[in-house]
Amino acid sequence: MPDDSQHSTVDRRRFLTVLGVSAGGGAMALSGCSTDRVQKLVPYLVQSEDQVPGVATWYASTCTECTAGCGVHVRTREGRAVKLEGNPEHPVNQGKLCSRGQAALQGLYNPGRIKAPMARSADGGFAEITWDDAIARLAGKLGEAGNRLSVISGAPRGTFSDLLAEWTTALGGRLVRHESFDHEPVRAANRQVFGLDQVPAHDFGKAKYIISFGADFLESWGSPIENQRGFAQAHGFTGGDVAKFVYAAPRRDLTGLNADEWVPIKPGSEAALALAMANLLLGRQGEDRVGLTAALASFTPAMAARETGLSAQTIERLAGEFAAARPSVAVAGGVGSQHAASTEVCAAVNVLNFVAGNIGQTVRFGADLPTADGHAELARLSQAMDAGEIAVVLVHDANPAYTLPKSSGFAARFAKVGFKVSTSLYLDETASLCDLLLPQHHALERWDDARPRAGVHGLMQPVMEPVFNTLPAGEILLRVSRKAAGALARFTAPTWDEHLKTRWRALAAELGEADAAGFWHAAVQRGGVYRDPPAPPEVGLALADGRLSYTRPTFEGDGSFTFLTYPHPMLHDGRGANKPWLMENADPVTKITWHSWVEVSPGAARTLDVRDGEMVELRSPYGAVEAPVYVYPGIRDDAVAIPLGFGHTAYGHFAQGRGVNALDLLGAPRGDFVPYLSTRVSVRKTGAYRKLASVAGVPRQLGRGIAEAISLEAAKKGLTVQQAYLEEGRGKHEVNTELELEALRGWSEAQRRATEHGDYAKEHPQWGMSIDLAKCTGCSACVTACYAENNIPTVGESEVLRGREMTWLRIERYWEDGEAPGAAPAARFVPMLCQHCGNAPCEPVCPVYAAYHTPDGLNGQVYNRCVGTRYCANNCPYKVRYFNWYKYNEQAWPEPLHLQLNPDVTVRARGVMEKCTFCIQRIRDTQNHARLEDRPIRDGEFTTACAQACPSDAIVFGNVKDGAARVARVKQDSRGYHVLEDLNVRPAVTYLAKVLLAAEA
Amino acid sequence: MSAAAPPHPTAHAGHLITQTHADVTRDVVGTLSPPTRGYVLLLLGAVSLFLLGIVTFLVLVKDGLGHAGYQPPIFWSVYITTFVFWVGIGHAGTLISAILFLFRSPWRTAVYRSTEAMTVFAVMTAGLFPIIHIGRQWIFYWLLPYPNSRFLWPNFKSPLIWDVFAIATYLTVSTTFLVFGLVPDVAAVRDKASGWRKTIYQAVSVGWKGTDNQWRHYSRAYLYLAALATPLVLSVHSVVSWDFAVSIVPGWHGTIFAPYFVAGAIYSGIGMVITLIIPLRRALRIEHMITADYHFDNLGKLTLLTGSILFYAYGMEYFVAWYSGNIFEQTTFYRRAFGPYWWAGWTMIICNAFVSQLLWFRKVRTNLTSLFVISIFINIGMWFERFVIIVSSLSNDYIPWAWDQLNPTWADWGILAGSFGWFGMWFLLFAKNFPIVAIQEIKEMIPMPRKRGGHH
Repeated sequence: MPDDSQHSTVDRRRFLTVLGVSAGGGAMALSGCSTDRVQKLVPYLVQSEDQVPGVATWYASTCTECTAGCGVHVRTREGRAVKLEGNPEHPVNQGKLCSRGQAALQGLYNPGRIKAPMARSADGGFAEITWDDAIARLAGKLGEAGNRLSVISGAPRGTFSDLLAEWTTALGGRLVRHESFDHEPVRAANRQVFGLDQVPAHDFGKAKYIISFGADFLESWGSPIENQRGFAQAHGFTGGDVAKFVYAAPRRDLTGLNADEWVPIKPGSEAALALAMANLLLGRQGEDRVGLTAALASFTPAMAARETGLSAQTIERLAGEFAAARPSVAVAGGVGSQHAASTEVCAAVNVLNFVAGNIGQTVRFGADLPTADGHAELARLSQAMDAGEIAVVLVHDANPAYTLPKSSGFAARFAKVGFKVSTSLYLDETASLCDLLLPQHHALERWDDARPRAGVHGLMQPVMEPVFNTLPAGEILLRVSRKAAGALARFTAPTWDEHLKTRWRALAAELGEADAAGFWHAAVQRGGVYRDPPAPPEVGLALADGRLSYTRPTFEGDGSFTFLTYPHPMLHDGRGANKPWLMENADPVTKITWHSWVEVSPGAARTLDVRDGEMVELRSPYGAVEAPVYVYPGIRDDAVAIPLGFGHTAYGHFAQGRGVNALDLLGAPRGDFVPYLSTRVSVRKTGAYRKLASVAGVPRQLGRGIAEAISLEAAKKGLTVQQAYLEEGRGKHEVNTELELEALRGWSEAQRRATEHGDYAKEHPQWGMSIDLAKCTGCSACVTACYAENNIPTVGESEVLRGREMTWLRIERYWEDGEAPGAAPAARFVPMLCQHCGNAPCEPVCPVYAAYHTPDGLNGQVYNRCVGTRYCANNCPYKVRYFNWYKYNEQAWPEPLHLQLNPDVTVRARGVMEKCTFCIQRIRDTQNHARLEDRPIRDGEFTTACAQACPSDAIVFGNVKDGAARVARVKQDSRGYHVLEDLNVRPAVTYLAKVLLAAEA
Repeated sequence: MSAAAPPHPTAHAGHLITQTHADVTRDVVGTLSPPTRGYVLLLLGAVSLFLLGIVTFLVLVKDGLGHAGYQPPIFWSVYITTFVFWVGIGHAGTLISAILFLFRSPWRTAVYRSTEAMTVFAVMTAGLFPIIHIGRQWIFYWLLPYPNSRFLWPNFKSPLIWDVFAIATYLTVSTTFLVFGLVPDVAAVRDKASGWRKTIYQAVSVGWKGTDNQWRHYSRAYLYLAALATPLVLSVHSVVSWDFAVSIVPGWHGTIFAPYFVAGAIYSGIGMVITLIIPLRRALRIEHMITADYHFDNLGKLTLLTGSILFYAYGMEYFVAWYSGNIFEQTTFYRRAFGPYWWAGWTMIICNAFVSQLLWFRKVRTNLTSLFVISIFINIGMWFERFVIIVSSLSNDYIPWAWDQLNPTWADWGILAGSFGWFGMWFLLFAKNFPIVAIQEIKEMIPMPRKRGGHH
């Protein structure tokens, strides 16, 4: 165009060309900023047989996070475990999994894992060594030590525990199995009352009445998932009667908040109440079939009233209710009521169950639950270590330096041992005292098995290559045996895997299976072998002297408050503290994350003149700790409580230096268990303040009908929430005239019809959800599942303090009533997630269509399109949209934690909005499969991560257009309602109102 | 002069008649004399604030908006507050220059240039905020309807898109109006200037010679531009108000919002005009051109009017919240007065509704000290009005569990200060380089006998 330029420098065509190119170039340069780095896709050099890129492979395994031994299914993608779900075939958990179980994944990929064998070097640090070297060192030390070896391990689990016991015995050493929250008082009481050295299983599902004496069976005590399932069965509403649940303890934990009635008895007086109830029951039965009249005679309601602080009428009423419902169940032995006379409490509850005829019904012996050795054994070992009788100590699957009170002096005594070895995966408190670290495989990396109860043989298999240079603990023992020979020469198995398989061949023979190979394959496929539990044995009373005792509790220290401590529902005994999911998923009761707190009742808070967040110092004869106050209406005025699990001094950067260890206030274990409830503390206000990292806003509903509830009578009559309100005279009559209502209906209908154009008019499924608040316990397993499935970043304490947690699904906990002084409020839990409104306020306000409606009824959110105006979040009435204020995606998953990420879900960059998608990746995956097989989607073929995890089965998801779908049927329930229905946003989530029993209303 | 020429003097304008055309030109051109130390210090201050804003912005772009004090559910806070504040400021200029021009209010002549400049710079400032406040600032242009290979258009249902258009239109029209009005005056200055300034003035005055023909076209065009700009005074802030009113947030969702916001905008704009002009007239030694008895009296009356409309609007908001029987609205308004943001709520009511009522007194209106103090109250009050509407409404909407309070940080204040620096920098540069008082319009107000001896 040189000639042209003489006439006109820029013609129209050229102008547009230049404009287009430069604008495009600018756009490219600008959009280039959002691509952080180019990553390469590397194809497999040799295609693995069972790995198809983009297709998940599932492995069955067994959870090892507590002793319940739930079955898990591990989802792996491209050779990496990405999610844990319950194994539906497993009799213990039947497809469900708690937060702790799901978070095992973060144990696998934990940045705090020990990456290779290490030995203490001259400068006091640890230096990496080879496995050969490590094995040789241990073998050498064992040779020198002779029988001066001791082994501390966790509760026995299966073949490995047997091997460990045999191995230790062969060396002449002693093995102590230590589990922080074992059931020693229960076992002792059963020895005493029934002559059975066992821990029984409980069947809550059958019970028509449940009373718990401080046993937190929904979160820590026993087998929480199984208990939750049973509790939902007994306590959920299905049209008929509902089991009443009474909680007798000085503090309400999550289990207590789910009770219909809380009986705030004096700390340590549980036995008096249980025995008085047994006495009353006996009186009602007329004849004394069990011969306990004399033994129980002194436990009158008046005596129990004196001891517990309840009125005699209350005790009589409880006994009457307990007697009227059969079968019932009474449980005890939780940490929350574990004091010096704990065995008495459990014995009293045994008697109560026995008198009520629950033994063999809801309380089943013969379950062969794993038990540890009790603290007395460990105390003896500790003394031996102190006396220099131990030359080598091996710690496996236990962290006594943290889980024992400081006053026990364990750490100092342990340090005196010449050679200390740990197989811990993490550099925990005990491992950091050791001389040799032999990190074992994570449970997801090794072959192993578990026998959580009679009839259940769970199997674990490696689901992926080990993340680090570790070995299975069994392999370590066998290699040491080969090296050391001598007494260990009889352990000849070439590998740990071989040893395990040999045992399973023996098991096949034992179970009468001829085809051992087939048996093994089936077990690997199904995650184990499940047989019916053996029939419970005939149980009779075996009280040695026919007498029952009650000791009035005594407390150490002269403070004015009884000190309570309890397992944190997420962190358990502290083993969960290195997993950010568990730290950030708020405690279901207090809704506090990342740090410790002191629970103080509103009455006590007035006396002490303290408010939320004010620091107080708790001092007992054994020590003092400082933590911020949380004013909690679910605790007695004369008690204060701190959760266990915080205050780690080692155990990785997620755990270290957060909060305080409540054990510092306790005395050394006496007898076979830690007396968690045995101390009095003085409380002193320090004047300092620390904002609580709480996820709670205003914990009252303010009459907005978010977590609705109706009475059992109304529910049985099939009334709706509105009708029930009107019947009770509490509701508001609609003020609209018929004409106005007609107009409103017409408008609503017109709006609905307006959506039936274009693509929307076609046949599409409509995804919907129902959440039954009568079943929801607030346990928050769904929240963890959501974090795991959807790559939700944990943001850390500082961001939680700014209200920026990213919980797509959160459990709101509202207090109801209890405004009167001294009255205890009731808790209402309501899971809140994107409601996928049919008439969504978030959609029209987005200037760039990042928020849009899909034809199948979802509120889509296009991360790539989002520019981050945040208008959608302002306009969302449910406040379920979450914004990436920082580059959370670069901070939340320090290596190798990023390997946990679900490849099916985008990791969101900073500056974009995100929210619940109803697990759209699962929907599309299922649709694709159905299309490949040329069939419609079957109801129940898949579900969302939250619904999948829910132990109470409170969440149902599916296609509401399919009339036969479970979700469509549940949505028809008369208890169904929408939150903020008046806004006419037409949510796809239907809540079913909670059902209240008389005591709560 | 044609029939549509700028207004002729009325009896009120008698105070100017002591001047000749030559005086006017001399005085106005005198404002362009080399800067004093005070001016340079002020300018340096403004530039430093602006640089602070730039640094803050760069940090936000680097790390994310997290540095600012956002605390969900408060997803909009100081930035949007300041955005609306500046848009509002912008409204006084067009009102004074266009609407009062059409209504033939002669007192506007002395102040309209400075208010117009203020308008353009305020809108320029406001226009930065939609970019600053979004999560991914580098793709702000996705809000614009430009042809692209994705065939994606913005969502015309979203008030934020309306906003983009409203602000862009307003910036275009008010800039045109300002530049257009400058032409004859710049021509006057051009003839006395030399060096690089002369080059600039030559460009801006686009060959103005002051011929009758030019004047005829000019007056006609000025009238049309004024007519074109007039509806914008009402529409732009109405659209901005719909950013809120169209949503379902209690405290935002009100039909009163458009008129309420327009009145507020004019109120805040005049407040800012007073704040700027009182020191400016002294600094530039043009006290005799902008007088307390006449100009400020009139500005005061306009403030009183709009302030009273605001008073009514505040009252009506509370009344409707109560009368509606809607518990969400009721809670929001109860908490606005007695909740965690009571201090902001009362600051707004006192500064805007109550303080403006002092202007009923002529003594207050014509006393520059009291007027200046009141104008500061207005600026503060109007910033807090937007803060209250945005932050306190968001802090307590439908789900109590989600309620929280804002914790503003250095990043909030950095951007706020930067916006004042940016605005101040432009205003100061303008005042020193362009005639801040409209020469030709003042000259037109001078009675015939004195018209001799000056440059036309």
